[in-house]
Amino acid sequence: MKEDPRTALLLALADDELIIGHRHSEWTGWAPHIEEDLAFSSIAQDEMAHARLLYGLAREAGLTDGDEDAMALGRRPEEYRNAWLCERPNGDWGFTVARQYLYDTADAVRVADLAESSWSELAEIMRVIQLEEKYHVDHALAWFHRLADGPSLTARERFADGLAAAIGEAIALFEPLPGEDRLVSDGVLPRSNEDMLGDWLGHLGQDLEAVSLDYVMARHGPLGEMVPTGSGEIPLETSDFQVPGVSRRDGRWAHEGGFAGAGGRRGRHSEDFLPLWEEMTALYRSHPGARW
Amino acid sequence: MIHADQRESLERDVWATLAGVRDPEIPPCSITELGIVERVAVTDDAVEVDLLPTFAGCPALDVIRQDVEAAVRASADGRDVRVRFVFNPPWTSDRITAEGHLALRSYGITPPGVSLGPVVIPLASLARSEGMTCPFCGSRETVLESAFGPTLCRTIHFCRACRNPFEGFKPKGS
Repeated sequence: MKEDPRTALLLALADDELIIGHRHSEWTGWAPHIEEDLAFSSIAQDEMAHARLLYGLAREAGLTDGDEDAMALGRRPEEYRNAWLCERPNGDWGFTVARQYLYDTADAVRVADLAESSWSELAEIMRVIQLEEKYHVDHALAWFHRLADGPSLTARERFADGLAAAIGEAIALFEPLPGEDRLVSDGVLPRSNEDMLGDWLGHLGQDLEAVSLDYVMARHGPLGEMVPTGSGEIPLETSDFQVPGVSRRDGRWAHEGGFAGAGGRRGRHSEDFLPLWEEMTALYRSHPGARW
Repeated sequence: MIHADQRESLERDVWATLAGVRDPEIPPCSITELGIVERVAVTDDAVEVDLLPTFAGCPALDVIRQDVEAAVRASADGRDVRVRFVFNPPWTSDRITAEGHLALRSYGITPPGVSLGPVVIPLASLARSEGMTCPFCGSRETVLESAFGPTLCRTIHFCRACRNPFEGFKPKGS
């Protein structure tokens, strides 16, 4: 693998898609109803296809040696560069759709940026990806409103629990990449991850405040008990945030400093990655060179 | 060196051949009707065909590539056949031709053309009329049930008039 910051960028993007795609695919046959079975299976299919395009580009650009299968299934665990958020188990439906909402709205920000990359081959691929990701965001927002605004308080609480569990590591999707300064100065990455994160946090804050779920960011108030009133006023300015590095400035969420679950972009993973990797790569490892 | 007239004639032949290659998942529809053929070029030693993937994860893409290679080889006059997928311009569903719309209809799939509208796709309990025409009764009193259907390029709808579920072709980029 060639030492080039573009490798770090492509692997971060592709591995996020591959690993969250793998988690989504675990719903195939098990989702609460058949439309969602199809939805998560289709989203998984899209995400894995996007990973495949990006692995292909890495190889064409001479950054990596392996073909798409070797990249997806033939690497050691520490060679994957996905964020921790993507590797976490699906948990309940609340966590699943909370994570899908956080991931796909964050992904939409970086995909839109990279569609304007100075690296034209990457920009072309990202424009194709952007048209398909639109449906993932639509799906996520439909569930967001159904659970957050819907008639069931239990559903709302479980969605809030899912958001609270996922939000810290979602922010680490924007953990700076090795060699990011050069990517930005070359225009390959039009804006830094920190700038994209600021953008996303702004949207996230608005979404959550609109349904009075912004309390999931606050340390105080045990989840599930603090049901917001109609006005939804919880004094966030005065409370601490449980998410490292996030604070509220001038009425907007902002980030500075650390990340929860940092290290994915350097190949460090949570305890949940190894079991996922073992299952995902089992066939590839036990039958080297198999074709299907 | 191939003569310009001869090249043009060969390219016309290749386009005509491609008009006979069917989409494996929607057989009444040819790949030219779907608008996925971006470029045909005949050179001294090769016939080049550039295709646009409809959806990146479509498992039919490999089959389409093989079908195109086999079909074009017959009219390539011994030249190499080079078929590849390219991403510029991105394929959008407004590339589907009028004939393609008819072919989709004949297969019970409502063609794209009515935008799914802004961001919120209502799930069943919140469903609102989407205006996709029902292929059975022609009513536009229909709702989108799910943007994800039996293939990546299809959506699932329900007709409130004749109470049948039906499929639509997923609008993309239009």
